[in-house]
Amino acid sequence: MIDSNTPRSDALAWVAGSDAPEKSALNLGFMALTDSASLIVAATQGFAQPYGLSLNLQRQTSWAGLRDRLLSGELDAAQMLYGQVYGVHLGLGGPATELAILMGLCQNGQAINLSQPLMQAGVTTAEALAARVRQNGAKLTLAQTFPTGTHAMWLYYWLAAQGIHPLEDVNTVVVPPSQMVAHLRAARIDGFCAGGPWGALAVEEGQGFTLATSQDIWADHPEKVLGVTREFVEHYPNTARALTMAVLEASRFIDESEENRRGTAQLISSRDYVDAPLSAIQPRFLGQYEDGLGHAWLDAHPLRFFADGEVNMPWLSDGIWFLTQFRRWGLLKDDPDYLAIARRIHQLEIYRSAAEALGIAVPEAQMRRSTLLDGSVWDGSDPAGYARSFAIHARTDGPAAVNL
Amino acid sequence: MLRILLINDTPKKVGRLKSALVEAGFEVVDESGLTIDLPERVEAVRPDVVLIDTESPGRDVMEQVVLVTRDQPRPIVMFTDEHDPQVMRQAIQSGVSAYIVEGIQTERLQPILDVAMARFESDQALRAQLQARDAQLAERKRIELAKGLLMKMKSCNEEDAYTLMRRQAMSRQQKLIQVAEQIIAMHDMLGG
Repeated sequence: MIDSNTPRSDALAWVAGSDAPEKSALNLGFMALTDSASLIVAATQGFAQPYGLSLNLQRQTSWAGLRDRLLSGELDAAQMLYGQVYGVHLGLGGPATELAILMGLCQNGQAINLSQPLMQAGVTTAEALAARVRQNGAKLTLAQTFPTGTHAMWLYYWLAAQGIHPLEDVNTVVVPPSQMVAHLRAARIDGFCAGGPWGALAVEEGQGFTLATSQDIWADHPEKVLGVTREFVEHYPNTARALTMAVLEASRFIDESEENRRGTAQLISSRDYVDAPLSAIQPRFLGQYEDGLGHAWLDAHPLRFFADGEVNMPWLSDGIWFLTQFRRWGLLKDDPDYLAIARRIHQLEIYRSAAEALGIAVPEAQMRRSTLLDGSVWDGSDPAGYARSFAIHARTDGPAAVNL
Repeated sequence: MLRILLINDTPKKVGRLKSALVEAGFEVVDESGLTIDLPERVEAVRPDVVLIDTESPGRDVMEQVVLVTRDQPRPIVMFTDEHDPQVMRQAIQSGVSAYIVEGIQTERLQPILDVAMARFESDQALRAQLQARDAQLAERKRIELAKGLLMKMKSCNEEDAYTLMRRQAMSRQQKLIQVAEQIIAMHDMLGG
């Protein structure tokens, strides 16, 4: 009794060409962070319409909330922490749901910041912090933004490189990025690792200082990605490609000139987006750092969105690095199939086709080589060995590994 | 529990249908003899489904209901005492979600209404996608128009016109479409 061949579905078929997006209106989740700029620019500055998409920006208040809305389908795609995608995919701290990375959104631009009281106590260097931690007394409480996220991994890595065990020598807690400064002011935390503008705002408000930038830990490190569920990619492959193209074009536009960067900083400071003073966003967005201790510098590796696609290429080695750190800190009890997991999550074919259509070079190699602040070299070639190579760790090997 | 607004202005057979619906466990709000107040009643009762007779004079009013409740539309189910595929086909194409033939067994009402709800939801989703696509095409045309005007005014190329518009939009924390509308309005005011 039901006629499925209505005029409406015919009309839709007519509007849609063969590679037109299957879904044209997308809800796009983002956090109030400087590095959500490429999504904000893509959605508001006419980068999506030419691909038949309209992007509805949906600001989220926490990374866990963002994850939940992505999994429930309320969000079609979202800015995500690199490690968060892997954590959800593997079911660390929740049910496993297969996720997919369409592209990298940014590199650099995060920071470890400490409180004003620590500064007044003379804890203004890594050595002083290590000495303070070794004293008897209350443990310091340091905040990051999500248990498997990038900030947890930068904080752990940096502390360990100073000889501080992040899971034994200090307390670590999770606080949403936009609430870091308020927590610092209320003395609920002694420091935090998060993205901009929250470190710069702590400095501006006299609540703290920047002890280390994330690019000090790893110059041009992976950071945020454009994440969707695997189901989304399978149901809407053309949409995924169109979305990737729109965000790639916006990324290229932001990094094209200083004027575009200034304009972008102005745009994202709006109440609707990052909702923070331009003075806390713009300087670091342009690479101009002040640490709150009287040092100012032009950073060689500031937050960047494009770099001829180097930022956006979903390098397999970038994803695998987070797996090695999960292993190092005991979040994974055994060595997983590192390469197979990364290959499953990273949508290299979609990225390649989107980038090539825009004339953006896509490297043949799927791994890149980096040297981190403690001298360790990471090129993706021996993840299990790399995960075991750190003196400070919380690895708990499964029975099979012990028998070896 | 599904709440059904039963438009009951042709009492010949509604008695049995109503008791069948109540028996099947639905909450039935029975409305009789109304025509003019229908849109208000739909708003007040907020039914999950509107059930109406094919012969009802209220059908004309339903056309109005469909328009009035565009923002919060309801599935509409028709009932009739004769099986006429042609009438059903037309009704379904005009937005009716399902059809109930009079004399139907109580236990068949639930699946029919379930199908009506499901069909309605997928129709709505499709409609929303189409509307989004239309809005986006319209936006794209307006941006193109503004870009063309700007290229003439500033004697610049397409790329430069886009960049100018984007810089203006970003510095005012606006969307590109807002700046495009401003350019078009200004151009109209200055007499093209």
